[in-house]
Amino acid sequence: MAMNFWQAQQQAKSKTTFYLITFIVLTIITAVLAELALRTYAGKNYQEPVPYVGLGFLAVTFLVAGFNYLNYTRAGGSYVAESVGAELVDPYTQDPKERQLINIVEEIALATSLPVPPVYILKAEEINAFAAGTSPQNAAITVTTGCLYALNRDELQGVLAHEFGHIYNRDMTIGMRVAAMIMGFFIVTYIGLRLLQFGSYSRRSNDQKNGGNPMVIIGLVFLVAGAVTWFFGSILQAMVSRQREYLADACSVQYTRNPAGIAGALKKILNSQVSDMPRSGKPFAHLYFNEHESFFSRIFASHPPLSERIAAIEGGKYNDSEPLNQKQI
Amino acid sequence: MSTTLMVIIGLIVLVALWASGIYNSLVQLRNQVNNAWSQIDVQLQRRYDLIPNLIEAVKGYMGYEKSTLEAVVNARNHAQDARSKIAQSGGPTESSVNELAQADAAVKGALTNIFALAENYPQLRASENMQQLQEELTSTENKVAFTRQAYNDSVMMYNTKQQEFPAVLMASAFGHHLVELFQVDDVEVKKAPKVNFS
Repeated sequence: MAMNFWQAQQQAKSKTTFYLITFIVLTIITAVLAELALRTYAGKNYQEPVPYVGLGFLAVTFLVAGFNYLNYTRAGGSYVAESVGAELVDPYTQDPKERQLINIVEEIALATSLPVPPVYILKAEEINAFAAGTSPQNAAITVTTGCLYALNRDELQGVLAHEFGHIYNRDMTIGMRVAAMIMGFFIVTYIGLRLLQFGSYSRRSNDQKNGGNPMVIIGLVFLVAGAVTWFFGSILQAMVSRQREYLADACSVQYTRNPAGIAGALKKILNSQVSDMPRSGKPFAHLYFNEHESFFSRIFASHPPLSERIAAIEGGKYNDSEPLNQKQI
Repeated sequence: MSTTLMVIIGLIVLVALWASGIYNSLVQLRNQVNNAWSQIDVQLQRRYDLIPNLIEAVKGYMGYEKSTLEAVVNARNHAQDARSKIAQSGGPTESSVNELAQADAAVKGALTNIFALAENYPQLRASENMQQLQEELTSTENKVAFTRQAYNDSVMMYNTKQQEFPAVLMASAFGHHLVELFQVDDVEVKKAPKVNFS
């Protein structure tokens, strides 16, 4: 039995909201803890009425995040596609396979009432695809040649509908916001490290009677707070990303009304051994349609395991021994 | 000016505002229906334009399957007529859509027959022209199916608005009428299975 996609979508949406709130709460808790730590251990030197350090932590995180986010938005989907070396497909192409690709993209655009995005082809054997861009207006879809030639029409339609699901749910925007936050945490860690270095140089000239050097302590607090949020933030980022993948799979079923398409594509990927996505695409790994397990350990994986995705689509446990391609002839 | 007169004028203005609100929302909904229909219409037009090309492509191979080819041409002409009838009446109406839906289903059935027969001619099946035509016809069929949903949704909203109180009092006076859904009867599914106990 195929899954009820309305339920699945609702579930994935509320889980993502939960993760995003956790993200912000995590940042605020760290700021409060940093402030408390400072007041406890360097109380003599630090008795300001305003919590400068906690606010400083929040300000740096959100400023860096905002700046990065603006940078991401300026570059549209076509920029990302071209930066991994993909080539634009002519919308009036006469090549039969490219014609089919353009046709399917137009079909799903109709089904989703989204504008038809530019389509790119990336020369790679691996079956993969990704959507990039920050809004439906500047989104672009890229598929690999492996994806184009190894999948049949229904499967290709399933994959493209999955990518349209990402565009429709604005997953690239969510992903980039989270990535921008992570960058903010990283910068805080970096500032902490610098302060620590600077503090230990100037320590000798300082009077030691007052207890700890505030510079060193603030540096230490920034370093620890930044590192902790960075670490847990990366795990959360991966969790959000995995949830969005399930959501996009559910959308694919919704748009095509054909669970066999996307499930068949995922099974073909499961059975293929090639892994030759370009190295320069690594910062965009979270955008890819699938990701091989060797890229990251599972906790940092931006995609759920393929067998679990197939199971979710088909509404049961995916059994590896089940004869493949059974449903897609 | 007496107070009674003021109250009466005020009431008339209120009623006029309220009626124009209903009028505007009905116009908006009808435009949505017509827009959704034109999306379907573009795809149907393209489909019916492709069929002569298909006949041209298969004629050389399947010359003696005359009846199958004629069935496609007839179904196509019939559907094309139904299509232009809707275009001439300025959009879908109460009864015109069903006729087209049935004619289009006949085209679909006839096309399926042609492609099934084409399986017997490996040369024809392998020809690039044939593959291209098959892809284009499949794609337009999918596009019709996907736009049908949007059309039916907007028709449902338009019809519901007309039937709701108080719009129901004035919808027909403003020249609105119910519009038919684009429904595809899957004959195979609806047919009750025959059970034989003898």
